[in-house]
Amino acid sequence: MRILITLFIKELRSLFFSPVAWVVLAMVMLINGFSFRAAVAMLESGPQASSIVALTFFSRWFWLSYFFVFPLLTMRLFAEERKLGTFETLFTAPVHSWQVVLAKFSATMFFYCLLWLPSLGNFHLFQFMTKGASEIPQGQIIGSYILLFFLGLFNIAAGCFASALTSNQIVAATLSFTISLLHFLLGVFVLYLGQQVPPQFASFVHYFATVEHIPSFTSGLLDTRPLVYYSSLMVVFLVLTHHVLEFRRWRL
Amino acid sequence: MIEVNSLTKQYAGRTAVDGLSFTVEAGQCVGLLGPNGAGKSTTMRILAGYLSPSSGTARVNGFDVFHDSIKARRSIGYMPENAPLYLDMRVNEYLHFRGALKGLRGRELRKRGIDVMEACGLTASRRKIIATLSKGFCQRVALADALISRPPLLILDEPSNGLDPLQMRHIRELLAELRPQQTILLSTHLLGEVEQSCDRVLLIHRGQVCADDTPRNLVRKLRAATDVKLELQGQGPFEEELAKISGVRKITERKADGEWRRFTLRVEARADIRAVIFEVALQRHWHIRELHRELPSLEDVFVELTEGK
Ligand SMILES: Nc1ncnc2c1ncn2[C@@H]1O[C@H](COP(=O)(O)OP(=O)(O)O)[C@@H](O)[C@H]1O
Ligand SMILES: [Mg+2]
Repeated sequence: MRILITLFIKELRSLFFSPVAWVVLAMVMLINGFSFRAAVAMLESGPQASSIVALTFFSRWFWLSYFFVFPLLTMRLFAEERKLGTFETLFTAPVHSWQVVLAKFSATMFFYCLLWLPSLGNFHLFQFMTKGASEIPQGQIIGSYILLFFLGLFNIAAGCFASALTSNQIVAATLSFTISLLHFLLGVFVLYLGQQVPPQFASFVHYFATVEHIPSFTSGLLDTRPLVYYSSLMVVFLVLTHHVLEFRRWRL
Repeated sequence: MIEVNSLTKQYAGRTAVDGLSFTVEAGQCVGLLGPNGAGKSTTMRILAGYLSPSSGTARVNGFDVFHDSIKARRSIGYMPENAPLYLDMRVNEYLHFRGALKGLRGRELRKRGIDVMEACGLTASRRKIIATLSKGFCQRVALADALISRPPLLILDEPSNGLDPLQMRHIRELLAELRPQQTILLSTHLLGEVEQSCDRVLLIHRGQVCADDTPRNLVRKLRAATDVKLELQGQGPFEEELAKISGVRKITERKADGEWRRFTLRVEARADIRAVIFEVALQRHWHIRELHRELPSLEDVFVELTEGK
């Protein structure tokens, strides 16, 4: 446990000392600003069926941050260690691979959660500015942030895996982006095919469809199926990462 | 302290370590000597638990390096080749982190940090960012890291590689201070280094041990032969005449340069036959363009030693 904490603190430290993390933070805040602005503009244009929370997370802007955050945050995790050669010092210290994986993963998750905190302020500010005239149900906010958290679990685990595969950060980022994008496309696939596929298939694809999870969570509906789904994917990718790291010790 | 038993490592079908067996007793300082690509680093990586052997076993401090990897790693202070470090950390931060990873806590961690920085001459640079350090200082940080948890065994992969002579001397002095209490396995491709730092040398060539001896005996063996290079012109037969000179073991002819014939003579080191060759050339009216003695590189001697087997 102490080793896990030592590794976790070291990871956080290198995150906060790397310019990438700050650039990501700035961009996410900027994009959240745009996305929030777009939502407010929609509300201004007339009555809307969904609340400001749904409008914010349903906007095109949101997907922009969704796709660049994960590759940028995860690409250096293992790739940099391989490049520097510290991979060797790290794994000749008396630590288990899974400890390293968990520490890197949770440090990145920690930073990822920090990324979304400022956007929470937007909603409070909105409520304050409208002097409470606009009601934002707590459930919608909680639902949205829970979904964001679980999306992070899956995508960051996938990013860890991508980074463990290579010593080149660009390759790691590209790979992690590809995984996120493919997963996203699997989900929208059915939306575009519409009626042409049998309903059983459509309901199956629903499990992958982040685009369809968003409306339910942003309306405050906690559906546990997607949560289980994202957590399982996280476990799968973390286990894969562990095996990639241990690969050099396989007896072939 | 170390027991290695017919250790073999193959990389994608290419054998890097080939049935290596040796033991190192506690308190010994053993040098792995070999040319680049001999398999020194691979052996050390297996011992340090970074790679698995393809076959064979290795035990460190009684623990199998593959099956009991974590326990074995606790007994080892390992310094990889080229001293990889986190460049964005300060020296003391780095050592603090490494000490904590190796299980040191609280006051002991701080004390060990200060002690190893003192021992490795890093006290003045403890607040420096590692990226700004010179190669010699990076090696010292890596060595301090290897020492921090007082491991019973030190494994140092080319500790003085890439250093200038002054920095090399510092590292050697450091090793000399450690030597009385510590078991050390170090690797190098420099003959001079084992001569000064080790009690025992394992000569490694193509993944196999080809000599296991004290440095003195080994150096005597290695310096047993030198090459003389010769370019001449005139009436042959050159080889027969040259072979008559006493001390010549072997004559090889290299590619001729026009009229000039080029030979390499392997001769006993103690015999300097250059003057004799010149005499012979005078008698036969040969023209000599080049006549020079070359101390053999380690690689040449390895080839000779292994061919001799
Ligand atoms: N990761 C690797 N993949 C493939 N071959 C390798 C790898 N590491 C080393 N080798 C090969 O194994 C041999 C031994 O290498 P090494 O142990 O590094 O030698 P040394 O440290 O004595 O110079 C070399 O021929 C090298 O090319
Ligand atoms: Mg080497």
